Amino acid sequence: MKRIIAMILAVLMMATLFVGCGGGDTKTNDGDAAATGLAPENGATLKVWAPDAALDVFKGQCDKFIAQYPDANISIEVVAQGEGDAATNLLNDPQAAADVFSFACDQLNRLSDAGVIMPVNTKLAEDVTARNSAESIMAATLNDMLLAYPETGDNGYYLVYDKSIITDEDAKTLEGVFEACRKANKKFIIDAGNGFYSCMFPFTGGLTIEGLEGEENDVQKFNDYDEAQVVATLEAFAKLFHDYSDIFFPTSPDKISAGLAEDPSTVAGGIDGSWNAATVSKILGDNYGAAKLPTINVNGEDKQIVSMHGYKLIGVNKSSKFPNASQLLADYLSGAECQLERAEKISWGPSNTTAAASEVVTSNPAISAILEQSKYSVPQVNISATFWTPMGTLGNNLCKEDAKYDTATLTELLNKTIANVRDE
Amino acid sequence: MKYIEYMQLNPFQRFWYNFSNAMKAFPGKLKNFFVAVGVLIANFFKGIGKAVAGYVTRFIKGDWAVKISYLIMGFGNMVKGQFIKGLLFLASEVAFIAYMVFFGWGYLSKFPTLGTEVPGMQLNPVTGGYEDVAGDNSMLILLYGVLTIVLIAIFFAIYFASTKSAYAVAQQVAAGEKPVSFKSEVKDLLDNKFHITLLAFPTLTISVFTILPLIFMILIAFTNYNSSHMPPGKLFTWVGLETFSEIFAMTEGASKGATFLELTKWTLIWAVFATVLNYLFGMILALMINKKGIKLKALWRTLFVITVAVPQFVTLLLMNQMLQADGAINVLLMNVLGLIDKPIMFLNSTALVARITVIVVNCWIGIPYTILITSGILMNIPADLYESATIDGAGPVRTFFSITLPYMLFVTTPYLITNFIGNINNFNVIYLLTAGGPGTENLYQAGYTDLLVTWLFNLTMNSLDYNLAAAVGILVFVVCATISLITFNLTKSAKNEEEFS
Amino acid sequence: MIKSYKLKRGLVNAFIYILLAVLGIIWISPLIYLVLHSFRDEGLATVSYLLPKTYSFKNYIDLFTDTATLNFPRWFMNTFVVACFSCVISTLAVLMVSYSFSRLRFKARKPLINIGMILGMFPGFMTMIAIYYLLKAMGLTQTLVALVICYSAGAGLGYQISKGFFDTIPRALDEAATIDGATRNQIFWKIILPMSKPIVVYTVLTSFIGPWTDFILARIIMGDKRDNYTVAIGLYTMVQKEFVVNYFKRFLAGSVLVAVPISALFLFMQRYYVEGVTAGGVKG
Repeated sequence: MKRIIAMILAVLMMATLFVGCGGGDTKTNDGDAAATGLAPENGATLKVWAPDAALDVFKGQCDKFIAQYPDANISIEVVAQGEGDAATNLLNDPQAAADVFSFACDQLNRLSDAGVIMPVNTKLAEDVTARNSAESIMAATLNDMLLAYPETGDNGYYLVYDKSIITDEDAKTLEGVFEACRKANKKFIIDAGNGFYSCMFPFTGGLTIEGLEGEENDVQKFNDYDEAQVVATLEAFAKLFHDYSDIFFPTSPDKISAGLAEDPSTVAGGIDGSWNAATVSKILGDNYGAAKLPTINVNGEDKQIVSMHGYKLIGVNKSSKFPNASQLLADYLSGAECQLERAEKISWGPSNTTAAASEVVTSNPAISAILEQSKYSVPQVNISATFWTPMGTLGNNLCKEDAKYDTATLTELLNKTIANVRDE
Repeated sequence: MKYIEYMQLNPFQRFWYNFSNAMKAFPGKLKNFFVAVGVLIANFFKGIGKAVAGYVTRFIKGDWAVKISYLIMGFGNMVKGQFIKGLLFLASEVAFIAYMVFFGWGYLSKFPTLGTEVPGMQLNPVTGGYEDVAGDNSMLILLYGVLTIVLIAIFFAIYFASTKSAYAVAQQVAAGEKPVSFKSEVKDLLDNKFHITLLAFPTLTISVFTILPLIFMILIAFTNYNSSHMPPGKLFTWVGLETFSEIFAMTEGASKGATFLELTKWTLIWAVFATVLNYLFGMILALMINKKGIKLKALWRTLFVITVAVPQFVTLLLMNQMLQADGAINVLLMNVLGLIDKPIMFLNSTALVARITVIVVNCWIGIPYTILITSGILMNIPADLYESATIDGAGPVRTFFSITLPYMLFVTTPYLITNFIGNINNFNVIYLLTAGGPGTENLYQAGYTDLLVTWLFNLTMNSLDYNLAAAVGILVFVVCATISLITFNLTKSAKNEEEFS
Repeated sequence: MIKSYKLKRGLVNAFIYILLAVLGIIWISPLIYLVLHSFRDEGLATVSYLLPKTYSFKNYIDLFTDTATLNFPRWFMNTFVVACFSCVISTLAVLMVSYSFSRLRFKARKPLINIGMILGMFPGFMTMIAIYYLLKAMGLTQTLVALVICYSAGAGLGYQISKGFFDTIPRALDEAATIDGATRNQIFWKIILPMSKPIVVYTVLTSFIGPWTDFILARIIMGDKRDNYTVAIGLYTMVQKEFVVNYFKRFLAGSVLVAVPISALFLFMQRYYVEGVTAGGVKG
């Protein structure tokens, strides 16, 4: 076996040498590629998966990439593919999938376990690590190997509100938000039955996830949390939800924009995902309020609500026939210039540190709210497949109308949820 | 019991009478069933033994051409003038050998282990990139291994047929008859062997796209194909009955065993309610629509039946929206009619409310079907039955229970059973309406309204426990098969009773 | 006496009329809601009141003009083509299988009938991966041909109802024809089929509707090939997280467009459907 690998390697090395020679003539002004000596395969045809919202932007950026290598005859097809299903579709049939694909970071261990993602080229890795935020690099790393290129730093949720009803001062505490909503008799929406949102309840109490463990490396590891603290926080949330059950609605976030768009509006705000920010800001205009999540009062102490914060990553398919071109394209698409353009055109918050500091980003309320919230968040990294359903159940149990929320019930609920996530 | 006595019983007594009779007969029936299965298996092996014996005798008795056709298929036929038939046999042999050499053997040889070469990555120091080191793909080995085994079985069937055919034609020639021409054999396919012509195409497609995938699925239950063993990056392998013992293992909390039991219970309750309510109410509505003196029959029927024509996933997604806390139904009840002062959480509050909601919504979907199906039969109930009941002074309710219902049950049992099985596997209603919710911490990857099938779907799509899902699929099958066995037996004996010979 | 009887009957009928009217409204109202809101002009995904305030054809027009992202007209055509082909193949398969099980006698008949029943009891989700890779081995993934194959390959298993129907046709007919020298092939095409209009219509109808409603298998087969989607996957895509806010009204409009032809077909053919299913579905 070793001999076969050695032979394959030798052949591959020769092949790449030739490719290297061929590419040598096509000197371009791209700094990265010149420094690494990496050149795209001649005549590479690549397929790129991008979400619908970003399709046109990606197309333009791919054209620019092609222009950088005028002699390489690269052609790129950009195909729409939602980030949520990227891993599912890739695993379904890696050969038919895109060479370069954009995905949400919680799918990373699935992709890595199934061995369908190609790690970042080691010659590019250093630069990628240097130019992106440390958290986003953490999200793209598994077992000390950088597996993907950070694409955005904002796959999370934030507080969106109608400034004519909820003042900026109200928006600092959840109690203030609820009180303002009640005064105006308008709804406030959190998708509390969905694990992506509801994990903020225990996270606020100090629970966090710390990667995976176990024999197969597939069991969720939690920190050494203070059970009483977590339960007290859950209790505070449940109490608040029940006290304000007339205005608090645990339904899906699309109801936020729908309710805000009604005339007169029926919703005053909610916890919404970054992907809806453009729609909401258009509806509210000058009254568009976006902020980090508020605090909640737990036994007299105001606690910042801790959220789950995700990143979008760009990955390279291991079955790609043109690995070098794919790596270079992924590198280019995740670079500062492209991130900045996306921030400008479709309000995607950058993970690139220079792009994040730019005027475009800091003046965009939704992006800056989410980037602000990311300081109080658990990065969405190394999450086991069994995480979401039990967390959603926990959230649903806090807000359903006949829920009991005394300490004993909630302690049991918390322990069972953790046991279910860990599949014990 | 005489007919007269039987007719005097009230419906419940009658049911008990039939039921106890059936129960009394049941152990015997069950015994018969197992005996029948045993006989079937015995016959199968007997058949194989016979085939092998025939295979050997034909070789000994046959002439040289027959002997050669044991190696070169179709040779005997060709020598005796059946060129086309012989060529077809030969072609199938060549195709089979080519398949085995170029494709089948590679997968079949790895089938016992499901692959040993773990795929990996290798750093290429020149480009700095990682390169794929090819390895085995357990899933493809399993799938194509099964395909190869099925093809081998088919080939051997053809092979046996070819030796038989070579021998038969040799006998014919020896007896001085003219060998059957290809043309007349084709002609026979349109007459005496017409069933072969008719069934060949459906059998082929069903074998490839239903049976083969099913065998694949059943085999997965005996492997460890789950999120930790995902091809193409990792291998999975045979683990025997481990997955099943995992399902039946009772640990504390939300064990898979507890979940399986709870979901089985609810699946059965759901199927009974969904079937019985739809059936009863659908029939009552059909009776009302068809009652003498009711006008605008076509309008009423259309009102109900039109819902059948709208694709189910559309109506269900819409219903899901309408049943939300701020959905149309709550708005109607709260703001328009003023019946409630707080929205009802139909789908994600308590188990009971959600379960009742799905059953009611299922009535909305299912009753029109029952109206469609029963309308025609209801008209066919002999009028004299009703007349005698009216003379006896029976009211409409009694007439319904003593005449209409028994008659309908008698005629529509097969429909009821398929409907019941269909409800056990009713994926759409639950998945699109509640997605299994409300969730509970006491069940593994499932909620209170999850049926076994939707759980199975969650296991494949969310937690990637393919082996667990396959095992659950097998258990669902066992549940369905047992139920149809029991009900078939029950209704058969009840039917015999109704015939009052 | 007679008068009170009449009065009683009148009361009963009045009660039935009221009940039917109330239930009819309950049954039809979600569909009315669907149609009305598909014309709703204001608001985004949902509104918190029952009746729309403004109406327009905008959702329908958008469905056909704004096709860059989600190409509804194309999906509609795809589905129509797939439905036509798979309906022809499935109908043939069903009739062939049920005819042989009902009219012909051969050794493997009983075992095959039993196998057919058993196969119907397995839940099919796990088989989807296998089906995908089989289609891939044939080079058919992401094509409409694959969908036609998937929808019609297993059709033969739905033989029960039409077998029941064929069972009701007297065997004496076959026997008479055989005496006249007709082959089984001729009997099938010239005698039995012309008598089986209801069951043919029933089978055609059910197999034509299938492709309009499946959103699970088709999604796996099509993957990222949006151009080859069917309306069911397309409409399902419109209610996913990324689209639902701006596309829910179009989802409603698209649903109406799918429902209208099917409903028309259904109402038009209802008589045959009922005849077929009553004759075949119950006597078995």
